[in-house]
Amino acid sequence: MSIVNEFTKGLIKENPVLVLLLGLCPTLAVTTGVSNAVGMGFAATFVLICSNVLISLCKHGIPKEIRIPIFIVIIATFVTVVKLVMAAYFPALKASLGIFLALIVVNCIILGRAEAFAFKRGILESLVDGVGMGLGFTLALCLIACFREILGAGTFFGIPLADGLEPYTQKIFVLSPGGFLTVGLILAVSAYFKNKKDKTLKIQSNLSNGRIEREKQLLTGVEIVK
Amino acid sequence: MDIIAIVTPIVIMAIIGAILGLVLAFASKKFHVEVDPRTEEVSEALPGANCGACGYAGCAAYAEAIVEKGAEINLCAPGAGAVVEQIAKIMGLSATMNEPNFAVVQCDGDGVRNRFKYSGVTTCKAASVMGLAGSFQECPYGCLGLGSCVEACPFGAITLNDNNIAKIDEDICAGCGKCIEVCPRNLIRLDPESRVIVVRCQNHDKGAKANKACNHACIACQKCVKECPFDAIHIEDGLAVIDYEKCKLCGKCVAVCPKSLIVNLRAERKERRAIRVEKANNP
Amino acid sequence: MEFTLQQYFALMFGLVFTQNFVLSQFLGLCPFFGVSKNRESAIGMGVAVIFVMTMASVVTMLIYKGIFLHPSLQQYHMAQYLDIVSFILIIASLVQFVEIVLKKVAPALYQTLGIYLPLITTNCAVLGVTQMKLTEFADPAYSLAQAVWIQGLLGIFGGIGFTLAIFLMAGIRERLEAAPIPECMKGMPIAFLAGCCMALAFFGFQGFI
Repeated sequence: MSIVNEFTKGLIKENPVLVLLLGLCPTLAVTTGVSNAVGMGFAATFVLICSNVLISLCKHGIPKEIRIPIFIVIIATFVTVVKLVMAAYFPALKASLGIFLALIVVNCIILGRAEAFAFKRGILESLVDGVGMGLGFTLALCLIACFREILGAGTFFGIPLADGLEPYTQKIFVLSPGGFLTVGLILAVSAYFKNKKDKTLKIQSNLSNGRIEREKQLLTGVEIVK
Repeated sequence: MDIIAIVTPIVIMAIIGAILGLVLAFASKKFHVEVDPRTEEVSEALPGANCGACGYAGCAAYAEAIVEKGAEINLCAPGAGAVVEQIAKIMGLSATMNEPNFAVVQCDGDGVRNRFKYSGVTTCKAASVMGLAGSFQECPYGCLGLGSCVEACPFGAITLNDNNIAKIDEDICAGCGKCIEVCPRNLIRLDPESRVIVVRCQNHDKGAKANKACNHACIACQKCVKECPFDAIHIEDGLAVIDYEKCKLCGKCVAVCPKSLIVNLRAERKERRAIRVEKANNP
Repeated sequence: MEFTLQQYFALMFGLVFTQNFVLSQFLGLCPFFGVSKNRESAIGMGVAVIFVMTMASVVTMLIYKGIFLHPSLQQYHMAQYLDIVSFILIIASLVQFVEIVLKKVAPALYQTLGIYLPLITTNCAVLGVTQMKLTEFADPAYSLAQAVWIQGLLGIFGGIGFTLAIFLMAGIRERLEAAPIPECMKGMPIAFLAGCCMALAFFGFQGFI
């Protein structure tokens, strides 16, 4: 796999939030506004890149048995760095992200990439993977936040979109149920397109090994049921 | 900044880390539990479908039972011969293979009359719980055709045919018995491969009523009972039932059944077995 | 700082219902969606979380108040930058410790809870509860014992709220198995929508306190 591939896979094909369903807590909690989402996305991207590079750098020095605690401590250190930097330069953002800034530590994306990728691959690949996955995370957060902020508050980056929108906004979208609703619907749409693609792929691949007949029966059988 | 401000936190973190590490090391020594390495090997050899056919909670639980409690090693239906051999190798036992089991649907159903076209809840269990039993089909005993067993089958061995009756593909069926539990009409049974004579009907109604409900329903005509040379088939509560203790699988009842609902699977299974053996020999 | 009975009740009721960890604070969503396929495992996960959250709350608060904010060490401001690293380390070790002990002392319990324990290390509800009121407890008005006691309550009732939510969710998802759901909504999407409805329902408790 080329470097470009490593980068782009995190954006769409293996998007950590929308496809792999990792890191759900911050996804729902901080997407009430686009600016929060961008802040969270970049904070997580920074931690992801740094931890990926450092873990890839030290992978020969880390004993396999205690790798998880070591990963966690490395990640926690970078999160602390982000927290202190944010407290100094973006106090408002830090206040609105609240404890979710500290919770980047337990974001499964970062630990997952450390375990599945950085611990096995070279430094450059890990760096690119970190950037790609981080941006994929940011992108997904922004997408969800766009829906929620525009529908729920009628603003974008905190700027009102038009005058007199107030009576038409649905407050529910910025509250907790709206988070579940938006993510659920986005997942459904992505599953709809994925299913379509999978079905054609399945039939094509089965043509080759001559089991198409049975597969067809299975498919029609399933359709009768539903 | 003075050096102590840097050293103190490091020392404190080191102390906390050391204490935690020591506690863990002590705990793992004090509370050490002997884990047999074979458990993992066995559980890797198992197919991992977690189907529960062995009677344990899952493949891991079965592996543990084999290693620690000396459970039988030939209980895994999906894994069949290959897995048993592998486990036998790990455990140092000789492999004894069970005859494979297949799920058998005891309803032909192809002649059932529908009262109306049904489109509602899509699981058999829900349909029978909601009191629909026997309402959209004339036969209150037969396959509902809503496909709960199709969904329950972890191997995709069950399909619905054109008349919405469950059919089992014995090439795929692993004999796990998951479908048996979900069928609200208790139509599916697990039979050993050699049991080739099957009554494909569960209708207990009297002849005339059964005949009205389905072209392929048992009308308790007694022909099979009279034909059987071994006294192995009887009419019980309006339905022909085979006593497999006595049945010699001669297939005479199959020939006389006017509704052709007693079937002989011998030829079909022989052919399938030949194909399977050939496949196993020339992979 | 003394708490009245009313305040205690508000704290407990809030953690279980109005401020429910999962449904209104979005903490611990991974296990909430991952381990809610049937009620039995949901209860197992819930009990394990209550246990670990309570233990983690007490131990981290002891370290935070007792060491980081100890008068003789306060000048190094460790509370500001060592909290995340040390807390996550403590939680990870604690989970490991519980796993080891449980395996020996109560194998039956380990059989049911054991598989969920490793998942708890990365359960953000646990780290979340230890971080939630941290700045508040930094106030010297709280004595060490008080801070540990209140934080312990946060742990227990936060865990109970989590268990309630995941148990209800498991019940809903068991029922959803029999429902005719469009192909693309199967699995996660419908679970999220169910979560949405539950969050709406829990929203109804909002006026109580």
